[in-house]
Amino acid sequence: MSEHDRDLPDLIDRVARTLREPVATDGALDARIMARVLAAPAPAAGGAWWRWLRRPALSPLGAIGLAAILAGVLLAPRVRRTPAARPTLSEVQFVFVAPRASSVSVVGDFNDWNLAATPLARAGAAGVWSVSVPLEPGRYTYAFVVDGRRWAADPDAPRAAGDDFGTPNSVVLVRGAS
Amino acid sequence: MAGKLARLAWIALWPVALAAQDPRLGRVDPSVRDSVAALADSARVEGLPANALIEKALEGTSKQARGPVILAAVRALAAELRSARSALGSSSTTAEVAAGAAALHSGARPTDLADLRLRRPAQSLLVPLGVLSDLVARGVPPDSASHAVLALASRAADEDYLAFRREVERDIALGAPPAAAAAVRLNASARQALTAHGQKP
Repeated sequence: MSEHDRDLPDLIDRVARTLREPVATDGALDARIMARVLAAPAPAAGGAWWRWLRRPALSPLGAIGLAAILAGVLLAPRVRRTPAARPTLSEVQFVFVAPRASSVSVVGDFNDWNLAATPLARAGAAGVWSVSVPLEPGRYTYAFVVDGRRWAADPDAPRAAGDDFGTPNSVVLVRGAS
Repeated sequence: MAGKLARLAWIALWPVALAAQDPRLGRVDPSVRDSVAALADSARVEGLPANALIEKALEGTSKQARGPVILAAVRALAAELRSARSALGSSSTTAEVAAGAAALHSGARPTDLADLRLRRPAQSLLVPLGVLSDLVARGVPPDSASHAVLALASRAADEDYLAFRREVERDIALGAPPAAAAAVRLNASARQALTAHGQKP
């Protein structure tokens, strides 16, 4: 072991003691630092996005996803983005006579042929059922359903031509379409 | 390679397909649902009233028709809508196209629709086409019904068409043969028009 090697621990101890001693600083240092910080321009919000937009980088999967989103936005039905003026609605009253029925509903092009959508209400003691439905101008095909299972055309309305599914339909013409 | 391209195309078009899906088709028989959706999509692309096809499928579903029967009805309607649009012109409204398809379904010819458009170029054809279908449905032969509707086209307002239909229906209900009822009422309408113009019938 050389003399240099023997003095090494003492040297380390002295350096350590020196480093542990508190550093005397200028009392105005904090104020100067804060002044510089406040003077510096604030980073823009969304800096990461801005950097990405200036130098975009996409993984192949990300590019496909972005293309898919753009395609969906651009090619989706334009009706949703340019709503047309809604035509005037006309109240159409549907009436059906069924003295022994416990329920009557009207189904047709205007309610997706949904048996539960438009029930008729009793309009009197004589078995008269009725309901009023607001409809846009057009030609609608419809039928009545009695007690949830018996289909019947409207005896007071024109019949629809043809009978695609085995039960007749009626037609109502709502005027006003241009 | 082709498989990868197909997958990429599917991924790219997935939002479009999702946006085009009509939730109402969930009620339709699964065996024909995709075919009905494809027909509706094609109609939409062509500018035809795709909703009419979906409603036809829903009608069949509510009436518990079998899948193939529903699909056949939707296909037939799609062809009629296409034919009606072709006869009525590209400027026709969706309501007119749907009414035209119904008229074709009842037995009218595409040339009748085209003639009607020529005679009423700036007016809605919704009511005349509806009256045409209704007359046929009441038993008036398609040729007679088309003749009557075309004969009224140059001078009749929508109210006149509806009045004509009511009178024909009343005559039929009283026992008149449908073709005769339409002819008699058409002659009466012509006489009224001549009288209104100060001419002797």
